[in-house]
Amino acid sequence: MAEAALYSQITETDGVAGVALETAARVLRRGALLHALLAGLMLIFALLASTRLVPSLYDLAQQLFLLSYGGASDAALAIVIIFSLVNISALLVIMVSVLAREIWALPGLLVLALANAAVLLVLGYTPALITVIVGAWALVRLLRAPNVLRVNPVMMRELRGRMRGARAFVVMSIYLALMSGFALLLYVIFSTASSLNASAATGQIGRVLFAGVVGIELLLIIFIAPSFTSGAITGERERQTYDLLRTTLLATPSFITGKLESSLGYVLLLLFAAIPLQSLAFLFGGVTETEVILAFLILTITAVTFGTFGIYFSATQPRTLAASVRTYGTIAAWAFIIPLVIGFIVNIIQAGVFGNANAPNAPGLEALLQYVNLLLTSTNPFATAIQTQRLLVEQQVIGLYSVTLASDGSTIPMISPWVVFATLYQAIAAILIVLTIRRTQQVDVNS
Amino acid sequence: MANMAELIIETRDLVKKFGNFTAVDHLSLEVPAGSIYGFVGPNGAGKTTTMRMLTTLTRPTSGQAWVNGYSVTEEPRAVRRAIGYMPDEFGVYDDMRVWEYLDFFAACYDIPEIERKKLIDDLLALVDLSHRRDDMVDKLSRGMKQRLSLARTLAHDPSVLILDEPASGLDPRARIEIRELLVELARMGKTIFFSTHILADVSEICSHIGIVEAGQIIAQGSMDDMRAQIQPHREITVTLRDQEAVETVKSLIGSVEGVVGVNEMEPRAGRYRLRIDYTGDDEGVAELNRTISGAGIAILGFAEETKDLESMFMRVTKGIVT
Repeated sequence: MAEAALYSQITETDGVAGVALETAARVLRRGALLHALLAGLMLIFALLASTRLVPSLYDLAQQLFLLSYGGASDAALAIVIIFSLVNISALLVIMVSVLAREIWALPGLLVLALANAAVLLVLGYTPALITVIVGAWALVRLLRAPNVLRVNPVMMRELRGRMRGARAFVVMSIYLALMSGFALLLYVIFSTASSLNASAATGQIGRVLFAGVVGIELLLIIFIAPSFTSGAITGERERQTYDLLRTTLLATPSFITGKLESSLGYVLLLLFAAIPLQSLAFLFGGVTETEVILAFLILTITAVTFGTFGIYFSATQPRTLAASVRTYGTIAAWAFIIPLVIGFIVNIIQAGVFGNANAPNAPGLEALLQYVNLLLTSTNPFATAIQTQRLLVEQQVIGLYSVTLASDGSTIPMISPWVVFATLYQAIAAILIVLTIRRTQQVDVNS
Repeated sequence: MANMAELIIETRDLVKKFGNFTAVDHLSLEVPAGSIYGFVGPNGAGKTTTMRMLTTLTRPTSGQAWVNGYSVTEEPRAVRRAIGYMPDEFGVYDDMRVWEYLDFFAACYDIPEIERKKLIDDLLALVDLSHRRDDMVDKLSRGMKQRLSLARTLAHDPSVLILDEPASGLDPRARIEIRELLVELARMGKTIFFSTHILADVSEICSHIGIVEAGQIIAQGSMDDMRAQIQPHREITVTLRDQEAVETVKSLIGSVEGVVGVNEMEPRAGRYRLRIDYTGDDEGVAELNRTISGAGIAILGFAEETKDLESMFMRVTKGIVT
């Protein structure tokens, strides 16, 4: 089979262990495919149902895939789609970790299967069975080759180098100094301003401080994460160590994941280091733990996804400079320019159609525009963070909520943008990792 | 005979083209197991490209190559397991210690962590770098880096070492050290296939040689065969005490079968020397010696001259270029 040939090429591991790894990876990939089919089916359901031709489809989906969910059936559909997308990404990432013979593949698989089992029990999310079965199957396969999983040598080497000497310390100091300085500045400005009109709520200063620190952190992370990864492969080429690695038995997936782990591990360290600074806001009140957790989640996912942008271009470009330019260009286009342009157009349409007194009764169009707006918000980490916090503070909404349409007074389910953002970014990261491995192997074969 | 031995590297009509440029042109190599094979040729002759194909880094445009019986295109992993490769550029990880460098590559060859510590100690002792174990790699001299590189190629105990210009850019002392290391490794049973353009290296240590020019092999075989091929007769220099002895030897030897010529050379440091051109075998050479000493003549020196490789190289390559 062509597929079998592809896999033996990817795992690059010999003998019984290689076969076990390949089978486990293939099983996981099939699981991801099944979830993708399900998500696609749900999207078609949603489209058909929204045209109000077959309204019972919503209920059918809820009865089939989300047995014990008490909420609205349209919201249930959204939940099923999001769970499936999360499963796809998780299965793909674990598949790569199996191919790369990462030691964390086993616990990762276990956690994913258990989490799915829990969701199955609590919400009656039946597609969780796919992941549970696939996970158990892959686990059994992996246990047949217990000695092949190991700590990634590339990650070990990178971390040894990165954490040695003054450089790691200096980067972290500059990063923390920048943020502390910024926080101090915010505090000084805000406290002077509030002492002038003396009407500012106590909680407000905390909230401003928190938002300011998270904002500047996000900005720094967007620049730092890709800068670590965009030189990952090109750097090896430039130092002429790439050929050395290619003549060893190190498989491409191990190489790529090792690079990602080490650079993202360091970025994660930066994020953890800044948590105390974020928590300063607690002193002034007005900020809840939920906000801190959600902010950390958004920061982490931004770092991981933009990091994979970097490694993808590092695999496709011959030089670090070219890779960096393309990485930052793509990030700017994806997270800033394109959503701004489309958002502008959507807002013009919205204002033109629904802005005046004799607004037409077009609930379908209005709902569509609402969803497009949600999607656009979710492509940008800043917009996501702001909108999520606004919903949290003003409406106490963490996940699902409903919006009443101006056209006919009906409600449509909406979701806090961080959920869409997390799912979308996670999916992009998973796909980019798989693509990076493919591209690296192709380049090797063709050179 | 050497060419009857098992071949550990074999290529058949290997071709590599980069666009219109043919870097390697129907090259057929035969490297016997256990040999030290010098791959000699001018810069740009296709040595590095050939080595990159043998190490699975580049796919041949056409033709076949096997290392240790495995095809480089069909079973690249088996080939990688069998070879240790040292490119002409030393790949520097500037942020590593010597032992970490070896530890990393050993891990890349799937050597379990418990075995690595002892392996690293052994490798460092072999290349005489034990005292630099904890130094940073970029603080090492070029010669030391080259030795460390050599230790790296040995991490997974390969049967063949493929070394691209191992002695280039080294000072004389470092070059001799590398040379001695290669001989030592050959004694340990490794086949060593190395490229060079320094002929002195080849004549010192190689058992086999292949001369490449413009992507083609123009001569290859064991050093002895090559010498015999290039040099139709042996040259024996006999050093004698005085002119009288010279005359006696001339008359004694001149009529022996196989002796093509007996020529007097310029006396050096008061010693008289005779050059005998002889086409016979080893037994005949011994017989010559016996004949002379049997006549009661004091022999100060009796030596077979090995014709230097440079003239041989010039003679072989000239035909192709002009």
